[in-house]
Amino acid sequence: MNTAPLSGRRGGGPAKRALVSGSALVLLLSGCGGSPTATAPQAATGGGPSAAEKLYTEVNGMNGQQRRDKLVPLAEKEGALDLYTSMTSDVADAVLKAFEDQFNVTVNLYRAGSETVLQRVVQEQKAGYQGNDVVETNATELFDLNTEGVLANYDGERRRMVPEAGRQQGWTATRMNLFAPSWNTGLVTPEQAPKTWEDLADPKWDGKLAMELSDSDWYLTLYKYWEKQGKTGEEIDKLFDGMARGAKIVKGHTVQGQLLSAGQFSVAASNYSYIVQQAKAKGAPVDYLPFVQPVIARPNGIGLMKTAKHPAAAMLFADWMLQEGQALLAKQGLTPAIVEGDDPLKDVEIIPIDVEELTKNGDEWNKRYDQVISNGEQVDGN
Amino acid sequence: MTTASPAVSARRGATLGWLRRLGTPKVIIIVVVAGLIGYLALVPLYYLIWGTFFDADGFTLGGFARAYGDPRVGDMIGNSLWFAVGSAVLSLVVGTALAYLNVRTDVPFKGLFFAASIIPLIIPGILYTIAWIFLASPDIGLLNKAIEPILGPGFFDIFTVWGMVWVEGLHLSPIVFLLMVAAFRSMDPSLEESALMSGASRWQVFRRVTMPLTRPAIVAAVLVMVVRSLESFEVPALLGLQNGIYVFTSRIYFVLRSYPPDLAAAGALAVGLLVLALIGVTISNLVGRSGKTYQTVTGKGFRPRPMELGKWRPVMGGVIVLYFFLTVVGPLFVLLYTSLLKFYQAPSAEAFASMSLDNYRQLFDISDAMTALKNSLALGLGSATLVMILMAVGAWIVVRSRIPGRQLVDHFSFVPLVIPGLVLGLALSFVYLRSPVPIYGTIFILLIAYCTRYMPYGMRYAVTSMHQISAELEESAQVSGASWWQTFRRVLLPLLSPGLLAGWIYILVVSFRELSSSILLYSPGNEVLSILIFEQYENGQFTVLAALGVVMVLTLAVLVIIAYKLGAKVGLRQD
Repeated sequence: MNTAPLSGRRGGGPAKRALVSGSALVLLLSGCGGSPTATAPQAATGGGPSAAEKLYTEVNGMNGQQRRDKLVPLAEKEGALDLYTSMTSDVADAVLKAFEDQFNVTVNLYRAGSETVLQRVVQEQKAGYQGNDVVETNATELFDLNTEGVLANYDGERRRMVPEAGRQQGWTATRMNLFAPSWNTGLVTPEQAPKTWEDLADPKWDGKLAMELSDSDWYLTLYKYWEKQGKTGEEIDKLFDGMARGAKIVKGHTVQGQLLSAGQFSVAASNYSYIVQQAKAKGAPVDYLPFVQPVIARPNGIGLMKTAKHPAAAMLFADWMLQEGQALLAKQGLTPAIVEGDDPLKDVEIIPIDVEELTKNGDEWNKRYDQVISNGEQVDGN
Repeated sequence: MTTASPAVSARRGATLGWLRRLGTPKVIIIVVVAGLIGYLALVPLYYLIWGTFFDADGFTLGGFARAYGDPRVGDMIGNSLWFAVGSAVLSLVVGTALAYLNVRTDVPFKGLFFAASIIPLIIPGILYTIAWIFLASPDIGLLNKAIEPILGPGFFDIFTVWGMVWVEGLHLSPIVFLLMVAAFRSMDPSLEESALMSGASRWQVFRRVTMPLTRPAIVAAVLVMVVRSLESFEVPALLGLQNGIYVFTSRIYFVLRSYPPDLAAAGALAVGLLVLALIGVTISNLVGRSGKTYQTVTGKGFRPRPMELGKWRPVMGGVIVLYFFLTVVGPLFVLLYTSLLKFYQAPSAEAFASMSLDNYRQLFDISDAMTALKNSLALGLGSATLVMILMAVGAWIVVRSRIPGRQLVDHFSFVPLVIPGLVLGLALSFVYLRSPVPIYGTIFILLIAYCTRYMPYGMRYAVTSMHQISAELEESAQVSGASWWQTFRRVLLPLLSPGLLAGWIYILVVSFRELSSSILLYSPGNEVLSILIFEQYENGQFTVLAALGVVMVLTLAVLVIIAYKLGAKVGLRQD
C-alpha cells in the first residue's frame, strides 16, 4: 500500500498538516458569527410586551398596601432577584441585608463601576441573555440603557414623590451624589475656605487645588448654571481656566479624598460629599461644610428590565428602595431622592446634572473638559 | 469473502495508515495546543480588528484619525516612549543584576532576593503607586521629610517622568528577574571559567560571555517590558496627570470611557502596539535562532557553581540591602502603617496612638472575602498551570519543530499582550453569551480570560528556556528509543523547569491583580480578590485596602516560597 504521498517529508508531514488544519479550524470557529461590534438586533425586546412588562403594567396602577400585598407573594414565589449595581459595596451590603431580612427573596448581586454595569447589560441584552432583573446605577448610564430600549415603564405613588429631575423614562432616581468643594482643615482655615464656586479660580489656590480627570458632568452643569446666571461664555471659560491653572489633576475621587486628607493639596474642586464625610467621621482633617452652593447633584437611579426573570421581585425591590430604602440610604450617609419630614438640605440650593445634555453632547463636553484640565500644566512663572 | 474490491481496500488501508499517523500523541498534542493558542488569540483579535476597521457603514479608518488625531499626540508619543524605554531599561538593569548576583555569585542575603523580586509584583499597582506618593511626593513625602534638613524641601519629586519610570521600572523588574534567573540557572559556567582562565577580567567575562549567552532572555524581557509600559495607565494616571504629563494610553482610557465605547479608536491604538510587538517577536526569534549560540544546556554534565565575589561581597551585600529597603520595605512599610490607621496621616505620636487592627477586622467582615480568596487561588493556580503546560508545547513547536507556519503560533501567543483588558472582556462575553456551552456566568469564563491574558508571558518564559536547551539531548533520547512524548516528558520538561516555574510564579502572582476583564465577566458567587480591592477603592476605604494589600502580599509570598521549595526538587539543582 502506498502511503508516500500522504506522509510527506520526513518528520514534519503529519504534524504540518495537523497544524494547518488546526489553524483552519480556528479561523472557521472565529470567522462565523458576523460582526461582533455592529449593532445587533435587540433580540429580547422584539414583538409585543414581555411577560414582565405585563406584570409591571398591572401593578403600576396599584397603590399602598394593595400593591405590596400583590407583589410580596409573587416575589417570594420567584424566590430570587438578580441585581446589577454600581452602589458601593458598603451601601449595597446594608441595602441587601435589610431587603432580604424583610422578604423571603435571595438577592444575587453583581457590582461594578457604572460604565461596566452598562457594558454588561448591553452585551447580555443583545445576546438575549436574561442576566438581571433590576439595574441600579448612575443617571448617565441609565439614560443610555433607556435609549437601548431595555428598560420598562415603572410607575407608582412613591415614584411620583421623586423630584422631577429624577423621574425619567425607564428609570427613577433613588439617591443623589453631591459634588462640592472640600478642603484640608489643617491647611485651610474656615475664613480661607472657598465660599463660592468662583472662589476656586482665585490665584491663591494655584498649585493647591485638585481637579478630577473625568468630572465632565460637573463641568457641564456648572457651566450651564453660570450661563443661566448671565455670565458670558468667555467669562465662564476664564473661571475654569483660573481653576485649572496650576491645578493638580487626579484620577479617581477616592484617591482625591485620600490625598486631600494627607495634605497633598489644600482643596479638591469636585469630590463627592459622602467620601469627604466618611473621612471626616474617622477624624481626618477635611471638611466640605458649609456647602459651596449650588451643590451639584448627580442622580443615581433604578430601572426595571423588560426581560426580567423575576419581575415581581424586581418591582418589589424598586418600591422598597423608594420607601424603606430611602431611610436606610440616609443612614448610610447618602442623600435619598425622596425628601420626607425634616430635610437636612432644605436651605441648600441643589441643581441636578443635566443628564439629557450630557447624553446628547457628552463627547463634546468630555473633550472640552479634557482641554480645560490639560491647560493646568501650562503654568509659567509660578 | 471478496466483497471489497482491491482498490477500495487499498484506499481504506491508506486512510487507516493516515489516521494512525495522525493519531500519534505527538500530532494530537501539537494540533490541540496550536489550535488552543490560535483560538485564545483569535477570538479577541477578531473582535478588535473588526471593531477597528468596520463600523455600521463598512470599512473605515476613522478610529485611526480619532486615536492619533489629537493635537497633543506628538507630546504623548514622546512621553510614552521616554516612560516606556526608561522603565524597560531600569527594570532590565535591576532585574538582570539581581538575578545574576543571586544565581551566579556568593552574594550574602540571598533570602532577601525573593522578597525583593516578588513583592513589588504582588502589591496591586494602585497601592504601590500611592505608597510611592506618600514616600516621595514633594509636598508630603516621608522620604523628603527625612532628608529635608540635609538637601532642602522637595528633593524627590515622584510626579515627573523620572518618578513614573522609577515606580513602573521597579514594579516591572520582577518579570525580568524571573526570566533572567531561569536563564542564568541554565548556563554552563565552564564557558565563563575558560574566559577567566584566558585572562579576561570579571567585567569582560560578564559583558562578553555571560550577557551574549542570555541574549534570548534579554530580548524577550525588553520586548515584554516596552509593550507593558507603553500600555500601562495606572502609574501615568496617578503620577503623570498631576503635572499634566499625558501618555498615549490615556487616549485608550478616554476613548473607552464614552458610551458606546469607541472600540475603533482603542483598536487603532492597540493595532499600533501590535505592529511594534510583532516586529519585536520576529527579531527575538531571529536572534534566538542563529545557530546553537545560546544552547548552553548540552549533553555535557555541568553544575552552575556560584562565583566568589571576594572583596566585593560586602559591597554587593550593602547594595542588596539598600535595594531591598527602597523597593520593598519602603512601600510595604507605608502599606502596613496605613493599614493600622483610621485615615492616612504623616507619622506622629498622635498617629501611633490611634493605631488599631480595625481595618483587618473589617476585612474579615467582608461577606465575600473567603469566596474571593478561594476563587482567586483556584483561578491563579489553574491559569498558571494550564498556560505553562500549553506554552511548553507551544515553545517546542516554535523553537524545535520544522513545521511551516510555526512562527504563527508565536505571533498568536503574543497578541493578547496588546489587547486592552476591557476589549478582551467584551470579546469574551460576546462569544460566550452566544455559545451553546454554558460558560458565561461561570468561573470558567474567567479562567479563559486569564489564560488568554497571560499566554504571552508564558510563551516568553517557555521560548527563552527552550532556546537554551541543545537539541542533542532530545536526539540522544530518541536514538535510545524514546518516543516523542517520552522525550518531551522525561527530558525536555525537567530541563525547561526553571523557566516554566518562573513563568508559573509570575502568572500566579499577577492573576491576583487582574481586574479589567474580571470585573465585566464575573458573576455572583465568582468574585475574585481584585474585585474586592476595586470595591474597597470605590468605597474610599483606603486603609482597609492597605490591609487587604498586606494580606495579599503574605498569602502570595507563602505560595511563592512553597513553589520554589518544590521547584528546587526538580530540574537543575543548585548547591
